Amino acid sequence: MTKPVLIVGGGPAGLSAAHALASAGQKVVLVEKEDRLGGAPILDGYAKLVPSHEWAKDAIGAMVDRVQGREGVDVRLNAQVQSFEGEPGAFTATLKDGTKIEAGSTILTTGFTHFDSVNKPEWGFGTFPDVVTTVQVEQMISSGKGIRCPSDGRVPDRVAILLCVGSRDRQIGREWCSKICCTVSANIAMEIRELSPKTNVYIYYMDIRTFGLYEGDYYWASQEEHKVKYIKARIAEVTSDGKRLLVKGEDTLIKRPVSIPFDMVVHAIGMDPNVDNMTISSVFGVDLNKYGYIAKQSTYAHLAETNRPGVFVAGAATGPETIDDSIAQGQAAAMAALNFKPAGKVAAE
Amino acid sequence: MPIHEKSLIRKENLVENESLVIDGVDVSGHWSTFITGRSLTDYNDDMQDEIAALPGGENIHRCWQCGSCTNACTVNAVNPEFNPRYWIYLIRLGMEEELLRDKDIIWQCVSCNKCTYACPRDVVPEGVMKATAHWLELKGHTPKSPSTEFDEEFSGQVIKTGKIEESRVIMNFFRRTEQPLAQPWLVALIKGLAFRFPVFYLMRMGMAVVRRPRTRNWAKSRRAINEYVQEVEAANRAAVGAKGGH
Ligand SMILES: Cc1cc2nc3c(=O)[nH]c(=O)nc-3n(C[C@H](O)[C@H](O)[C@H](O)COP(=O)(O)OP(=O)(O)OC[C@H]3O[C@@H](n4cnc5c(N)ncnc54)[C@H](O)[C@@H]3O)c2cc1C
Ligand code: SF4
Ligand code: SF4
Ligand code: SF4
Repeated sequence: MTKPVLIVGGGPAGLSAAHALASAGQKVVLVEKEDRLGGAPILDGYAKLVPSHEWAKDAIGAMVDRVQGREGVDVRLNAQVQSFEGEPGAFTATLKDGTKIEAGSTILTTGFTHFDSVNKPEWGFGTFPDVVTTVQVEQMISSGKGIRCPSDGRVPDRVAILLCVGSRDRQIGREWCSKICCTVSANIAMEIRELSPKTNVYIYYMDIRTFGLYEGDYYWASQEEHKVKYIKARIAEVTSDGKRLLVKGEDTLIKRPVSIPFDMVVHAIGMDPNVDNMTISSVFGVDLNKYGYIAKQSTYAHLAETNRPGVFVAGAATGPETIDDSIAQGQAAAMAALNFKPAGKVAAE
Repeated sequence: MPIHEKSLIRKENLVENESLVIDGVDVSGHWSTFITGRSLTDYNDDMQDEIAALPGGENIHRCWQCGSCTNACTVNAVNPEFNPRYWIYLIRLGMEEELLRDKDIIWQCVSCNKCTYACPRDVVPEGVMKATAHWLELKGHTPKSPSTEFDEEFSGQVIKTGKIEESRVIMNFFRRTEQPLAQPWLVALIKGLAFRFPVFYLMRMGMAVVRRPRTRNWAKSRRAINEYVQEVEAANRAAVGAKGGH
């Protein structure tokens, strides 16, 4: 294919697709709406990643470095696609600034949007300064400032992490599990215990989904090596007694209501569909699934295909995914784009 | 308000004022009955550490509440109130008051270790039960259990003389636990011995009871053992933050 492949979104999935295509000698245009590449781990300042324990800025930073400035990779920052026309093999994308890009095919790696905790007001985010999200804790750690209560800068004696905030909740129309937040929470809990051994960490859960090998390295290790405590309860509300936060709910193992004081409450926020997905859907002519992520055509035969021939998708744009799975999907999409022959579509029909 | 189904509520949570007038209305007696909240208002972060510091309790923090131990438990099969899984949870969260409600059955663990073989996380619940019973004693919540009394009598004799003399151990054990000496099984045992044992041995046994022989040059060993015992006991007391000792 002589025309470049257009990749939309410069997170782990997009970076992996760009690298794979460039390595195969295929020209790439990478369009990213923010001023930097790297996606969520870089833009939101994640700390050490699961499962490598590498700092996000090192691990994902290295993925950025091998793509940015590379021969055959044309990176457009602060850019968004406004319209997308043409036929498979001969698409024309027009950016918001009017620039036109010719592309043979395109890969959407537009990722996800963090759940906004304000949409669960009963859990105190936005009302009490010491109610924070996992993203804020990641930033406390990655910035080197350490774990501190935003209200007065004190090191908390006791931290509660509430799982499934913005996931698995029909009340707010989110019927999916965000997949990574259990493991990320166990990881954060261990980091808090390491940075501040006197801080006790309690995780409130409905189920623990530290799938696969994360079980031993995160769930077991957080309990066995770091004495993190897990309590089976979905919290009803977070209030304050004027001094500390009060976490209220039912401890389902002992059938008793609890109302426990905490210094800091952390929301393990989920991975929403990208807020841009309605626009992306209409610009690129791709269907969304019933949850609002970009729909994949097939689970097995054509991993990266959308409903529109020549438009592929990978990573968290398709639903909650881990970084390593997003990278794998980015490579799969690159392979699909490389092999894509517009005529094949006609033959198949 | 009179409450009809009082039997469903824990006695200590029912409060009544003998004489109470609110806004000029006499609400004395059952008219003022109210139920105090059963909401848990705090965790005690130290309790798990205290029990983990006693022998057997080391792995308590691993428990994920699967219930395999309770399901396997010999004692639970006859007394559903005997629930290692539940107690481990109470200890982990520091719910001392709840644990104390069961203080008179926790020591009944028969150390069969069925739980230990069932536990997928290697918590060694049998050890935790032992540590918990020990903790209850050290904190003064329970009297010494019969097995502790037996162990103390047994080891006390060994430390003192370098030997044990069974009949004395048994006699003293019964005295310490306030049980009558004339236990039917013991009487039967002695009768059986008297019939079946060669006279020579019986005489030697009798002499031993009277003369109380000691192991020679035992003093040095005794000193070393005593030192070690004191060290362990001090560590246990420090673990639970208890003052003084037994
Ligand atoms: C708190 C938290 C911690 C996490 N920690 C880990 C971890 O330790 N390990 C792990 O494996 N996973 C972790 N994850 C999941 C991880 O963030 C995702 O797997 C990963 O970011 C997905 O990569 P992606 O490239 O598909 O999407 P993203 O990282 O979301 O990247 C999408 C990119 O597309 C850009 N974009 C979006 N819309 C447009 C548009 N319309 N036009 C142009 N560009 C656009 C975005 O700006 C962004 O740069 C965590 C998630 C959360 C919420
Ligand atoms: S990964 Fe865990 S915290 Fe996240 S939505 Fe699923 S169950 Fe909830
Ligand atoms: S050792 Fe004790 S707790 Fe364990 S199964 Fe036997 S009786 Fe039950
Ligand atoms: S079997 Fe082990 S992990 Fe399961 S409840 Fe009992 S002690 Fe806990």
